[in-house]
Amino acid sequence: MDHPIDGGGIAYTEVRNMRLLVLGVLLAMAPYAFAHHSFGAEYDSAKPITLTGVVTKIDWSNPHVYIYLDVKGDNGQVVNWALEGHPPNTLRRTGWTRSALKENDTITVTGWMSKDGSNRIAGREVTLPDGKKLFLGPPAQ
Amino acid sequence: MKFLRLLILALLAFYAFAQSNAPTANGKLRRDALGRPDLSGIWQAIGVSLFGETGEVRPGEGRASTWGPPPGPPPYQDWALKKSRELAADDRNDPTVHCRMAGTPRITGIPVPFEIAQTAKKTYILYESNHIFRIIPTDGRPHPSSDELDPSYMGDSIGRWDGDTFVVDVTGFNDKTWLPGFGHFHSDALHVTERYTLQPNDTILYEAAMEDAKVFTKPWQYRLILRHPPRDERIMEAECQENNQDLQHIVPDPKR
Repeated sequence: MDHPIDGGGIAYTEVRNMRLLVLGVLLAMAPYAFAHHSFGAEYDSAKPITLTGVVTKIDWSNPHVYIYLDVKGDNGQVVNWALEGHPPNTLRRTGWTRSALKENDTITVTGWMSKDGSNRIAGREVTLPDGKKLFLGPPAQ
Repeated sequence: MKFLRLLILALLAFYAFAQSNAPTANGKLRRDALGRPDLSGIWQAIGVSLFGETGEVRPGEGRASTWGPPPGPPPYQDWALKKSRELAADDRNDPTVHCRMAGTPRITGIPVPFEIAQTAKKTYILYESNHIFRIIPTDGRPHPSSDELDPSYMGDSIGRWDGDTFVVDVTGFNDKTWLPGFGHFHSDALHVTERYTLQPNDTILYEAAMEDAKVFTKPWQYRLILRHPPRDERIMEAECQENNQDLQHIVPDPKR
């Protein structure tokens, strides 16, 4: 369940192995993650996070889009966070346009923190300045 | 007799329900000028851009028969199963995390679309992932001799028609790709037989039989339902190396 890089599908060593087919159908209901690596390889599903900050840079790049965000902490110190999302083509197909987000926009994003302690999150949903919400990446696995 | 009648009624109801999921008029297959089922078009197996955020199949397209996580381990020899588990514990072992070509048949399950262009003597598959292409001759020619065939990521493909099913024989692989799933390595002895069967509801049943005597105890099979994306898609550019930050941040997971 933790390795959804690719593949969705039913593997069967014997076509008549109905139990495996049924299992495959059940597994088929699971959510899907990043196309390029598994969610759990970099991010911790037990550590959800919500950040509000100012967009400093947008990398509309492969294999993942990165949005960089200056977030002011409780101590007043500003920290720059990287939000990882789906690849650009996938975002285009799920409702993002080039003008949806600009540098200096203030946005709120939900996601999950990285496992390596760096200031990176797996971005899930972005709330744009006009209140519109768009998904940036997959749900946690 | 009453039970039998009920059984027949139930079967008829089921048949009617199954038919209602087939939108193509009269259940006829789309065919090309040569009378072969026409596989041309944009196809995709899984992914948020196909199924949406909730993973639901669109109305009229039947059940979500095949998408989600990759299949379980292939029928590996004991040593190979151990190696596969070791590979799976660290995403950095995955060739696609390094932006290498996904290989055949793993490429078919990558969650981005690809286009099949079927012509009289060749069929082309243009994958958005890494801009990979495959040229599949269908003019009866054999594979190049082993002396002429350099091992490759996607293998050498030769196509033929078995009734209404397009069968592609793929050989000449290197050992640098994975099979569908995670940690599922193979050797250069891999031989893949793909079967593309167009369905009356304009989906493709995709089946891949994988043989690899160096690592398997018996053949392994994999299948997907290929669907048209919801919009009139075009295959777009996708250059994977551009900003690949993941390698520096992946944390190995021995439990995987």
